[in-house]
Amino acid sequence: MDMKTVLSYEWGAMMPEFIILGTAILLSLFDLFAPKRFNRRPLAWFALIGIVLAFVSLISLLPLAETSILADTFRLDSFAKASKLLLLIGAGLVIVLAASHSANDGLGGYQGEFYYLFLTALLGAMMMTSSGDLITLVVGLELLSISSYILAGMKKKNLKSNEAALKYVVMGGISTAITLFGMSYLYGLTGSTNLGEMSETMARVSDSQVLYLLGLAFFMVLVGLSFKLATAPFHMWAPDVYEGAPTPVTAFLSVISKIAGFVILLRLLLSLFLAASGDTFGTVAFLEQNRVFIAVLAGATMIIGNVLALRQQNVKRLLAYSGIAHAGYLLVAVATLGGGYFLLDTVWFYFLAYLFMNIGAFAVFQWLADANSSEQRFIFVGLAKRSPAAAVAMTIFLLSLAGIPGTAGFIGKFHIFLGALLGSTPTDYILASILLATTILSYVYYFSLLVQIFFRPAATKEAVRFPVSLMIVLLVCVVGTMIFGLAPNIALDFLHQHFGDFTDFISMG
Amino acid sequence: MTSVPLSAYLVLALILFCIGLYGALTKRNTVIVLISIELMLNAVNINLVAFSKFGMTPAITGQVFSLFTMTIAAAEAAVGLAILMALYRNRKTVHIDEMNTMKH
Repeated sequence: MDMKTVLSYEWGAMMPEFIILGTAILLSLFDLFAPKRFNRRPLAWFALIGIVLAFVSLISLLPLAETSILADTFRLDSFAKASKLLLLIGAGLVIVLAASHSANDGLGGYQGEFYYLFLTALLGAMMMTSSGDLITLVVGLELLSISSYILAGMKKKNLKSNEAALKYVVMGGISTAITLFGMSYLYGLTGSTNLGEMSETMARVSDSQVLYLLGLAFFMVLVGLSFKLATAPFHMWAPDVYEGAPTPVTAFLSVISKIAGFVILLRLLLSLFLAASGDTFGTVAFLEQNRVFIAVLAGATMIIGNVLALRQQNVKRLLAYSGIAHAGYLLVAVATLGGGYFLLDTVWFYFLAYLFMNIGAFAVFQWLADANSSEQRFIFVGLAKRSPAAAVAMTIFLLSLAGIPGTAGFIGKFHIFLGALLGSTPTDYILASILLATTILSYVYYFSLLVQIFFRPAATKEAVRFPVSLMIVLLVCVVGTMIFGLAPNIALDFLHQHFGDFTDFISMG
Repeated sequence: MTSVPLSAYLVLALILFCIGLYGALTKRNTVIVLISIELMLNAVNINLVAFSKFGMTPAITGQVFSLFTMTIAAAEAAVGLAILMALYRNRKTVHIDEMNTMKH
């Protein structure tokens, strides 16, 4: 490869990544050379500017047809663009949360590090969404994971934060090893690491021994990624890590990491296993044959997440279990393939809704937890009297998380439910009924927070004042949750107009 | 040129992987747990290199992949040990079963 080849690549397709990378490097250099007494907090706004610039450049890339550079390892297809939109919106909101995190229990003297590690984690997630090769996929995943391990342990003197980071690094390491072991078999069976070439080879496989190994590889990759997604029975680390990590990091893990995990799962499932055949005659598709495993994971995750959330007194753990439950709902869409047609639209819309409602809930929680130096439920007591605006916002987020009509969460869940009903096998119907039952169960813990907000007498009538930056986050999240709840067509039309039916992603290679 | 069959390498990798997984899930000492994870990742490397030499379509890609895996493993071990040291300063123990301040 000479200079001419390098220059002939269309580097513009990678512009958002370059901007994030540049911002991260600048921030790390600045943090290194700036004097100790310099306050690192304004760096948040610098990071936010980087994210906004990346978002703008991504918007300008939207009309670009599918592009792949670097020997097809980096692909900017519709799926990548759609997921990057979500990642950048989420990251922008979370960085504002971090900027208004209180200093005393917060990130302490390590704020500078927080901002650039946050950006490298985001960069890993973005690389993952547009990788066309197993190697870039793995490297992106690990860039995200390793940055998140450090982020979780940001509070160096805090025992809980240390413990969270250690649990995360051990569980993350094991899951990476399992995923990679599965991937090494995939490489061995196909002789390539390019996803397109791999799927072509896999479509031709009909030998029963090879199919058996393929099933094994699928199973290992699924188990490894389930750790990352925190789906039951591999969810044990999530509540502990969420509780120990600083609140902005928790918001990051519960939104950005989860989106990234589903992105890698969908990329592997749809670009590799969709084409493979499930039996030696090629009559049953591989996914059709094996999706019962995903269905079992989805069912177990919904039940365990929602049941364990019932007894949580710590709001962060409650939100962690609620996040596990939401991963379960999303897995229903994956297991039923969204009724066969609407998988990507459904997942994308659900994540859009989840992003606004979850970050909004974390924003309210973070400020109250900082003000009260506690993470227990009682910090919400009397919020309706002390700050009516925040109480209304939190109510909207909780109703949306519970899936009450009129909110974006309802529309997202409704699409998943419809997708499951479109299926024709008993598995689909069982999943749909578990989805309904666990949703009703989830009302108990979401509404118990509403009881605290509205019906418990407050010890003080003193008003809680939210800083302007948090108010902006709340406003954006409320508007997002309401608009996409009342007029979901805005988002869906946007999706269809810019990304079509994701055809260039499904038929890659 | 000796002719060790591909299956021998695969079995070796599988055994290494299982030992690593067993160690990672059962050992008390966190350093041993981190070493066990390295063992699992090295099993992956053996698989990749064996496939790249003796696989159905021999190609260099597998060896490239294993280089990346090694880099990732090194980064992960570095971060893991750093976190363990931060924890040891506060807690004065490296036993993973004593790290139970958060439950349920």
